[in-house]
Amino acid sequence: MEPIPRGYHVLMRVQSDLTKNRRRNRTALILLTLAVIVLAFVCLFVGSSHMTVAECFAALAKKGSAAQVRIIWNIRIPRVLAAIIAGAGLSISGLIMQTDLNNPMASPSTLGVSNAAVFGANLSIIAFAGGFLDTGNHLSSYTVGANPYATSLMAFLFSTVSILLILGLCRLRAFQPGVVVLAGIAIGSVWTAATTILQFYATDVGLSAAVIWTFGDLGRATYRTDCIMAVVVLAGLLFFTLMSWQFNALLSGDAAARSMGVAVDRLRFVSMLLASVITAVCVSFLGIIGFVGIICPHVTKRLLGQDHRVSVPASALSGSVLLLLADTLSRSMGNGSALPVGAITSLLGAPFFLAIIFTRKGEHD
Amino acid sequence: MLEIQDLCFRYSRRAPMVLDGVNLTLRDGEIGILLGKNGSGKTTLFKNILGIRKPESGSIRFDGEDLLRLSRRERARRIAYVPQSIHFGALSVFDTVLMGRVSYFGYKAGKEDEAAVEAILRDMKLEDYAARNVEQLSGGERQKIAIARALAQEPRLLVFDEPTGNLDIANEQLIIDEARRAAREKGIAILTSLHDLNQALDLGDRFFFMKNGKITHAGGAEIVTEEVIRETFDAEVRIAQIEGKKIIINGGHKL
Repeated sequence: MEPIPRGYHVLMRVQSDLTKNRRRNRTALILLTLAVIVLAFVCLFVGSSHMTVAECFAALAKKGSAAQVRIIWNIRIPRVLAAIIAGAGLSISGLIMQTDLNNPMASPSTLGVSNAAVFGANLSIIAFAGGFLDTGNHLSSYTVGANPYATSLMAFLFSTVSILLILGLCRLRAFQPGVVVLAGIAIGSVWTAATTILQFYATDVGLSAAVIWTFGDLGRATYRTDCIMAVVVLAGLLFFTLMSWQFNALLSGDAAARSMGVAVDRLRFVSMLLASVITAVCVSFLGIIGFVGIICPHVTKRLLGQDHRVSVPASALSGSVLLLLADTLSRSMGNGSALPVGAITSLLGAPFFLAIIFTRKGEHD
Repeated sequence: MLEIQDLCFRYSRRAPMVLDGVNLTLRDGEIGILLGKNGSGKTTLFKNILGIRKPESGSIRFDGEDLLRLSRRERARRIAYVPQSIHFGALSVFDTVLMGRVSYFGYKAGKEDEAAVEAILRDMKLEDYAARNVEQLSGGERQKIAIARALAQEPRLLVFDEPTGNLDIANEQLIIDEARRAAREKGIAILTSLHDLNQALDLGDRFFFMKNGKITHAGGAEIVTEEVIRETFDAEVRIAQIEGKKIIINGGHKL
């Protein structure tokens, strides 16, 4: 019998190795999707009204008591959707900022986007009492306000202005990633200082309302806010997925990416802006939910590598998973009232994150 | 053919000229080597050719086309680059090389792009590496992957910034051979910079001595003389001939 030439074996092995890689990525994405679905249901069934699973299912089918139907459809579903959408949004924003700036520390909070949102919300709550003109010194007027969207709008406006300022400044000089991070830190500290001064002059009621706003809370979500977030996050997801190869090229450095035909400056400007808008929208509706944008992208990159064709969807899904998990925990631990979900994401994510970065085992091979 | 005429460049309007009227011609399949001290403008010249920096005046033409007028993607299909310091991100070797074809496919790689990558990996005997993470390869292997990626662009000109900077002797030789093969077998013009003059003599067809943003001497191996090297590098060397080949010995004044 003729011996099979060596080259043939090698080629077959390469093909099977590559297929193995691809299969692993696909499996990971499918598992994450399943996790999101399962957790979404778990999240739906947990809550302060202690409904049984059967009652929940009945309410889901719009049967059962009117109160239970309302709890499921008006409170829990918008909340679960918010967790899925905002988790995905915050996570991909972090991932894209890290790639854009070639800096593992880049995230909405290190770039001052969140600080600016906090200032905007504080300004709205403290100076305009949650609505625009109502200045009554009552907590109810703070939390509801003359216009419930006013605070979100202010938060959004300030975070957008802040990121435009940073990107604008960086455009003046060639878009150097290191400069962007430094500018973000500097401008972020200006917002924090302004917030402190604002809070110094606030009444005690205004102050507590402002501080409570900064605690991320998925309970503020409504179908309308979910829709707005979904549009922005989906647009981002679509754009980032489409540009996967361009982002992959960016990992090789600016000069190499440019030599491969990537319009580096434009890609970086557009994607930074989009990532910031995603964060700004999520944060202005829900408050600060920290650390999702750092933990989830890093864990996915560690486990699945940096190919953006995989890391974009995987980061989005893992962001949803983390936020769903954190929200479920926050509502089951809070003894009737939900703990701030932003605190839970960090409490939950940080140890896992540390474990991942300190074990070399998790590394992509 | 690469033709550069009176190229001038500076980093800002008040800064001194980094490239001060550079003229250079390189034919298809030729290996041109830039020789000069650090800071003489070699890397800046590369960046201008690659379109990373825009020149203040002068022209860069390739096969008669004005490079400054080509779109980024069109340029990437003609000129490829192997940078001095190489990092990729945690991708498989296959995907890293496939990335070189992004100027052809844009958003999604097609079957013909994958076939082109397979051919290059086979040709460079890198099939074994295809599924491995580039980040875990050694310096020499990564350099090879960078060359493979550049070749995936199907360029007519390959710009190679100090290819042997951080490599051991065996890997240096490997990279030099790979570059020579690209030029001889595929007719790709190669423009590179090397610090080791003997390596340069071994590899190059044409030599360009650079000083203070100007090309002071250009030509074949015959222009590499003790005087030219002294003038360019402010260093004394002696040149010996062994079996018809020039060998450069450092520290000529001690001999």
